[in-house]
Amino acid sequence: MNGHVKNMHFQQHVERAATLLCFLLLLAVDTTKTVEAGKNQGCDSDLQKTQKLTRLIHKQTGDLIKAYKASEGEMAQLFCKASRSDIPDPNISGLEPSERMASIYTQLQAFSPHLKRVQEQQMDLQPPKSLLLDLIQKVRDYSVRLTSSINNFYHNFFPNLPLPDPAGGPTTLPLPQNIFQQKIYGCVVLTTYKKLLNNISKDMRTLKIKVCTRAR
Amino acid sequence: MMFPLMSSMVVSLVLQLALISPLIHGFTNHLMVTPQSPVVQIGTNVTATCVILNTTEVTADDLYWKINSSIIPKEYYTKINASAVSVTLHITDEVGAWLFCAARSTSHYINPSKDRFLHGIFIKKGYHPEKPENLSCKAMQEGRWISGNLTCRWDSASRQTESVPTSYTLFVEEHPGPIFNVTTQDTKITVRMDVFPHHTSLVVRVVAHNSLGKAESEHLEKEAKEFVKTFPPSNVKVFAEEMFPTSLLIEWEHPIERVYLKLAYQIRFCPHGSHVWRHVPEEYTEKDITSFRLQNLRPFQQYDVQVRCKSRRGGYWSDWSANVTQTTPEDSPASKPDLWMLYAGGGEVQLVCKDPEMSNGRITAFNVTIQRSGNDSSEQEVVPVQQSGATWMSRQGITPLRRVSLANQKFIKACATASNSVGTSPKACLHVPSSPSGRHRVEGMKVWSQDGQMFVEWKRPNSSAVSEYVIQWSDRTHTDWQRENGRTNKTAIKGKLQSFVCYNITVYPIRAGWLLKPTSLEAYLEQGAPLEGPSVTRTVPGYDHAVLEWSTVPLERRQGFITNCTVFYRRNDKPPEAMAVPANATSITLTQLSGNTKYEVWVGMSTIAGMRNGTPHTFNTLKHAPGMVEGIVVGVSLCFLFLVLMVIILCIYKKDVIKENFWPQIPNPGESTIGNWSPGYPLQAETPKENCVTGVSVLDVGVCEVKLGFEDDKTSLSLKKDKYLSEEHSSGIGGSSCMSSPRQSVSDSDEGPDLADSTASTVQYSSVVASSGYKGQTPGSQSQHSIFSRSESTQPLLDSEEHPDVLLQRSPRETVFPPNPDDFRPLGGEQQPFCPLKEDAEQTPESDSLQDDTGAPLSSYMPQLAGYRPQ
Repeated sequence: MNGHVKNMHFQQHVERAATLLCFLLLLAVDTTKTVEAGKNQGCDSDLQKTQKLTRLIHKQTGDLIKAYKASEGEMAQLFCKASRSDIPDPNISGLEPSERMASIYTQLQAFSPHLKRVQEQQMDLQPPKSLLLDLIQKVRDYSVRLTSSINNFYHNFFPNLPLPDPAGGPTTLPLPQNIFQQKIYGCVVLTTYKKLLNNISKDMRTLKIKVCTRAR
Repeated sequence: MMFPLMSSMVVSLVLQLALISPLIHGFTNHLMVTPQSPVVQIGTNVTATCVILNTTEVTADDLYWKINSSIIPKEYYTKINASAVSVTLHITDEVGAWLFCAARSTSHYINPSKDRFLHGIFIKKGYHPEKPENLSCKAMQEGRWISGNLTCRWDSASRQTESVPTSYTLFVEEHPGPIFNVTTQDTKITVRMDVFPHHTSLVVRVVAHNSLGKAESEHLEKEAKEFVKTFPPSNVKVFAEEMFPTSLLIEWEHPIERVYLKLAYQIRFCPHGSHVWRHVPEEYTEKDITSFRLQNLRPFQQYDVQVRCKSRRGGYWSDWSANVTQTTPEDSPASKPDLWMLYAGGGEVQLVCKDPEMSNGRITAFNVTIQRSGNDSSEQEVVPVQQSGATWMSRQGITPLRRVSLANQKFIKACATASNSVGTSPKACLHVPSSPSGRHRVEGMKVWSQDGQMFVEWKRPNSSAVSEYVIQWSDRTHTDWQRENGRTNKTAIKGKLQSFVCYNITVYPIRAGWLLKPTSLEAYLEQGAPLEGPSVTRTVPGYDHAVLEWSTVPLERRQGFITNCTVFYRRNDKPPEAMAVPANATSITLTQLSGNTKYEVWVGMSTIAGMRNGTPHTFNTLKHAPGMVEGIVVGVSLCFLFLVLMVIILCIYKKDVIKENFWPQIPNPGESTIGNWSPGYPLQAETPKENCVTGVSVLDVGVCEVKLGFEDDKTSLSLKKDKYLSEEHSSGIGGSSCMSSPRQSVSDSDEGPDLADSTASTVQYSSVVASSGYKGQTPGSQSQHSIFSRSESTQPLLDSEEHPDVLLQRSPRETVFPPNPDDFRPLGGEQQPFCPLKEDAEQTPESDSLQDDTGAPLSSYMPQLAGYRPQ
């Protein structure tokens, strides 16, 4: 009898403890969810800003190409259709979101010196206050911010994965070129960069779903 | 409180001294003040310490402090040890000051090297910076992009001094991205970024700092687009669509491309020129749109439209775009025309009409139908609308329809519709009775002005049958009206009223289209002083009063209700006197005026806003009051009559006295006889009456005109020329001065013949000789008695013979010398005005001789019984 009573008391205590434990567990889960939701909200917002910035640079690069072509005349179509091997690939590699984010980052970094070179070449070819030079400067400035934004996002969401160095080592710039070569080079760099931006913009939608949903 | 502070300071001082002691050995100055160049917050204390270095010539007791040029009292000093002394000062003012530590010259060593025993520091005073408030930043659109220049401004509550100025550093941090900062001493600055950081968060803060510390503002953390102010939407166009008379389509372009900013818009519109804007609710325009359709507008109405924009996520509204004006298409008139009538006189009314409130287009014509009482048939007429603006009616949007006679009619019923290019309006009808019913007449009507508007209030009739009211206002030339519903009892007149114009305000109740009896009041929107004063048209002056009449001032010149008139009048340069008269008076009688005086008079007319005087008018009061002359004449006449009457009465009563005085009885010489009398013999008292005149002549000559008598009687005397001496002397008897001067009493002989001719008119003068008075000359026969004898005189009687009538006329003149009764006294009295014929007396012998020539004296008088007959 006594043993039975004791068991009863014990069972009651166990039930109470289980209830309390469940409550604490629920509370912990809910808190985690809240944190995740906050993180997810930041994910959406950051990626959305990055996406918008990509579109902005894409638009500006388009304007830049128009201005470039306008400055080159009828021959510009021919310049821009040429292909060069010394310009980074506009395609984004990797399967995982982190890999693709890292690829975007490295590709953007790879284009930076090429854009700088084009700007330098065009400074010799264009009047100082031309729209073309202004647009190149803006594209470069916003590209820096885009790179910084992706870097920031990557470190926030993939803190344990360091960003890889560009594949194939540091970017190699072309050797000194004549003006014709410069014109071709400039247009190819810009059009390729625009392709890259287009790819990034498309990839951002996928990444937004994958990364931010996963974060949820 | 002070003790722990002081001890800690001493410790720090010791530490400082320990640190600087290696350095100060090289210096030649024997005093040093610490801290160097302190910056002190105003309102706090500052403590400085002076240390003696490398000398024993002075001790701490020899040190003293000066601030600028004033020595600080010793109670502020604290002696730390034998070679250090500190001073504590409370800083209150803002001006920086020099603080010196010096040593008193106690030895010969100090005097030549005073500079070594003096050290000073400059105390900078200031305030701790306070936190900048109300930080705001703005980035403006520049061309196709947003400018990278972010202009920020803030409010600063902190005070600063010249020696401790406050600076502000603005930090703009992109997240993620670079940080820009810029410093200024103003409260506004622009930070230049390379590009505007689209799609980036910005953290903006401003730090106020000076030597006393720093204070940071609140962080302004926003998306970059929230700092943007773009251009207004460009290329705004408004379209009217024929199919939609109540809507307008608005189109515009983004001022900036969407990749930079997504914008929200705001649209406002108003009837052209009204400036009372209506806004389209923002929920319809906060999308990224470039067109919008305004709905529920009035057909055929001009509208002004404006659009502005801002970033959809906050930011600043751009300026409004420029006005774009468009007119909605026409539609059929949606409301009834405003049919009304104006009394035209002669039992006629003029039907007039205004366009319907919702005309929805240009009204081209009114279709009028008139139906008379007792007659089922109706008259129709189409009245085209003339919009020439040639008449006041057309200028006020009133169309005169037709004039209808109410004679022999109980009422007329008028109906009208308005037509435009699209359709016809509903019908408006009005029943105009020839004698409106006064049962529902409006009472208690009030009219007043306030803030440039005229208000009308009335009491609603007890019956609720009144469906609407028409408030009509008219001046002398224009009439207008407005309608109010039957529940209203107060309204503001919506027409354009003018100040200083008298309006007749009339409230017409209308019951089911029937016109009822109106109520009217006159009112002014604003009253002013009259433009002119009344002119005096007529004056009727009297002796002490005058009647003035003046003309009334025309209504359009009054500019207000006349409260009263004042008549001013003055004479000469005296101040005018005023007399108030009622406003409606046009004449007055001025009283208590002075006669025969020029008066200037004018009339002033007053409203509540002031008075205006009319032109002055002058008049003269009469010299005499009417009847005054007649009164004086009558009075004087009466007095004269009374006087005459009194004289007559007096004469009647005193005739004896008068007679005695004016016609004294003179003894008739003709009847006189020289007789002898003794003193007891009575004198003959009376003389014959007919001799009175003669007697007067004699007496006149005898009293004072003796000389004249002598002169006049030269002729008579000439007869005695030979006998009488030419020189006569007063005998002294009688005392008369008439003969006192020697003179020639007889005329020259040249006149002798003439005088001889006139001897015929000579009379004999009596010569009264008193024998006793002329002693020695009296003949012995006469010496026994005093004898009055009449001497015979040949003196002429001044033409009495030739002009006996003149003689009679002269007698009154001669009465100027009234006869003295004493003249008739017998000779021998003490006074003898009757001048004795001295010559007679003196020449008695000659007289006698003469008498001898003429015979006996008695007989010589005989012919003179009837007067002075010529002898």
